Amino acid sequence: MEKALNRQKVLLGHLQPSSPSSSHEQTPLSSSICAAGDSAAYHRKPAFSDDVVIVAAYRTAICKSKRGGFKDTRPEDLLTSVLKAVLEKTNVNPTEVGDIVVGTVLAPGSTRAMECRMAAFYAGFPETVPLRTVNRQCSSGLQAVADVVSAINTGFYDIGIAAGLESMTLNNINTLQSTNPKLEIFQQARDCLLPMGITSENVAERYGVTRLEQDQAAVESHRKAAAATASGKFKDEIIPVATKIVDPKTGQEKPVIISVDDGVRPNTNIPDLAKLKPSFKKDGSTTAGNASQVSDGAGAVLLMKRRLAMEKGLPILGVFRTFAAVGVDPAVMGIGPAVAIPAAVKAAGLELNDIDLFEINEAFASQFVYCRKKLGLDPEKINVNGGAMALGHPLGATGARCVATLLHEMKRRGKDCRFGVISMCIGSGMGAAAVFERGDSVDELSNARKMEN
Amino acid sequence: MPVFKTPFNGYAVRFSPFYENRLAVATAQNFGILGNGRLHVLSLPPAPGAPLSEIVSYDTADGVYDVAWSESHDSILVAAVADGSVKIFDTALPPAQNPLRSFQEHTREVHSVDYNPTRRDSFLSSSWDDTVKLWTLDRPASIRTFKEHAYCVYSAAWNPRHTDVFASASGDCTVRVWDVREPGSTMIIPAHDLEILACDWNKYDDCLIATASVDKSIRVWDVRTYRQPVSVLNGHGYAVRNVKFSPHHRNLLVSCSYDMTVCMWDFMVEDSLVGRYDHHTEFAVGVDLSVLVEGLMASTGWDELVYVWQHGTDPRAP
Repeated sequence: MEKALNRQKVLLGHLQPSSPSSSHEQTPLSSSICAAGDSAAYHRKPAFSDDVVIVAAYRTAICKSKRGGFKDTRPEDLLTSVLKAVLEKTNVNPTEVGDIVVGTVLAPGSTRAMECRMAAFYAGFPETVPLRTVNRQCSSGLQAVADVVSAINTGFYDIGIAAGLESMTLNNINTLQSTNPKLEIFQQARDCLLPMGITSENVAERYGVTRLEQDQAAVESHRKAAAATASGKFKDEIIPVATKIVDPKTGQEKPVIISVDDGVRPNTNIPDLAKLKPSFKKDGSTTAGNASQVSDGAGAVLLMKRRLAMEKGLPILGVFRTFAAVGVDPAVMGIGPAVAIPAAVKAAGLELNDIDLFEINEAFASQFVYCRKKLGLDPEKINVNGGAMALGHPLGATGARCVATLLHEMKRRGKDCRFGVISMCIGSGMGAAAVFERGDSVDELSNARKMEN
Repeated sequence: MPVFKTPFNGYAVRFSPFYENRLAVATAQNFGILGNGRLHVLSLPPAPGAPLSEIVSYDTADGVYDVAWSESHDSILVAAVADGSVKIFDTALPPAQNPLRSFQEHTREVHSVDYNPTRRDSFLSSSWDDTVKLWTLDRPASIRTFKEHAYCVYSAAWNPRHTDVFASASGDCTVRVWDVREPGSTMIIPAHDLEILACDWNKYDDCLIATASVDKSIRVWDVRTYRQPVSVLNGHGYAVRNVKFSPHHRNLLVSCSYDMTVCMWDFMVEDSLVGRYDHHTEFAVGVDLSVLVEGLMASTGWDELVYVWQHGTDPRAP
């Protein structure tokens, strides 16, 4: 082992030009373990064809709960439409799918798992394809993707679907009540009971995020989302859902096709937002205008080994590089991305500067602004098509929604956009982040593959 | 142009001096820091467009940092192995009889080997144990050890005309010129302010040496007037890992660098950078020019790829 360290030292010496005479003890370079494999910025596995790639990522429109387009749509029907879409758009034989993992948060676990299994049947999957749900709160959708990737990497199966589903029309966020006497002693456990809005106020207070900054972030989010909608950017990723809407007064059912996010308010402006009263605390700064919307929606992502994708001639939307989930103080759970993003980026052997595009979930403007400032990110690179404050935050579906939005945007941007990051904060104090790479920037090297015959 | 994917990270590549379609590649697992090594002997395709094919490969217990073809036997290879050994392979023998010999004298990693091109009976090895050793195939031990450098000797290269003269490049920031008939080095050139990773002699002018350094530059020296370099070639973004003079043109040389590029230079003109190839996606560590085919280049790097291409064409072109 000492030999390896000595070799590393000699080689590092080649990279940090400091003459033997001068004594630069602190160097910006150090060796570190790269969780992604043996190197950075290109295929890192011994077999390039073993990369887990995303070949399809679709979502439904995100609609306001109780008032929006999906207020009378069953959650399983939302999931059905995206599951069906990934099959139809790729022509993958459903029997080849090894597992479906659905991120879902608010609905009772077993009931929702049952509904999802039913959705798989509605979508045309045979009984042989299994399904399970996963709950990591707001990052459940991303966790589902990470779970499928790790299962494919482990070799449990070669093709998997990660999905996310939430109907906040049907399932409310209930404040947890607990009378456990241990709460007296365990401050952080007690903080888990805080309503999310209070944690947002805590972030704003503790890290000095002003009301104006928050409102500005909300205005920006709406502006970008409106521009993206108007220019038809979301058409690539949204699957139109044929459903019904019941008129609340007359009780009349009307068949509709929902294909546009309905939470975006293009005319959002600072003066209007400034009039809103704080929602969680009298002298607070978090309002209905600068927090994420309560929404319904679903998304699905089809993943497989690169080898299979190439055999089937499927387009490679992106490569899943790394995933990191980390814990933070539950009282300021919103700071999660500020910790998770560096962890995931480091594991990919990259630096923050290497990332060309970010999707950071806007649970609250306070935490979003804090994370952006803390990491020193270029606002031009974050949520370029708006975030949860404009589009909505259907908890379990958000991760899958972000994958669809990010990868389609990376595809539009072409070669200049090689690496993307998705991250969100997680209730009870966590953050999750994942690094994606554009698929075709790696394909350039594919002339190497021809040799392996 | 042909590409070959090696399972380990590339360290060195050398064209055979006997067959224009043959080359050897030295590789090491985990960037040469820990693990095994493998020596590949590859064959160029008879027709363009076909892949490089492997004739044979030899596994070693530690990384292979460099390889040299024998100048006297078309099937013999000398390998510099990180465990301190110098191993001889004969591709004409069955795999079970390889390595033909293993010389274990260096106390640290052997970083380069060079076969004497004029007398063709001996070869040099340079090591991180600060020494250079002189060997022949038929003796069980080295003939001589040259110990003057104060840090790793990264490279030792025979003079193409004077059969007893060679140069060595070291991390102690000096290049030394030796005559094996003399007891000590005959010349010490403090060629760079930072570590020197490689050196090579001009094939047409036996007084010119090129040096590649961690200071990102390549310098060309005339041993008759070594106070000032003949030429300084700037343009690499990181340490220059290797440098080779062209066997066909007096003024051309090729280099590869930690900045992942391979560059062709004309050191006699002001605008000296002739061509830059950025086909590697990791450190470009090994580079060679074919003696038998003018303009044919090969490179390898830590991206586990070996490229062979004609100067002026895109190495990645299918």
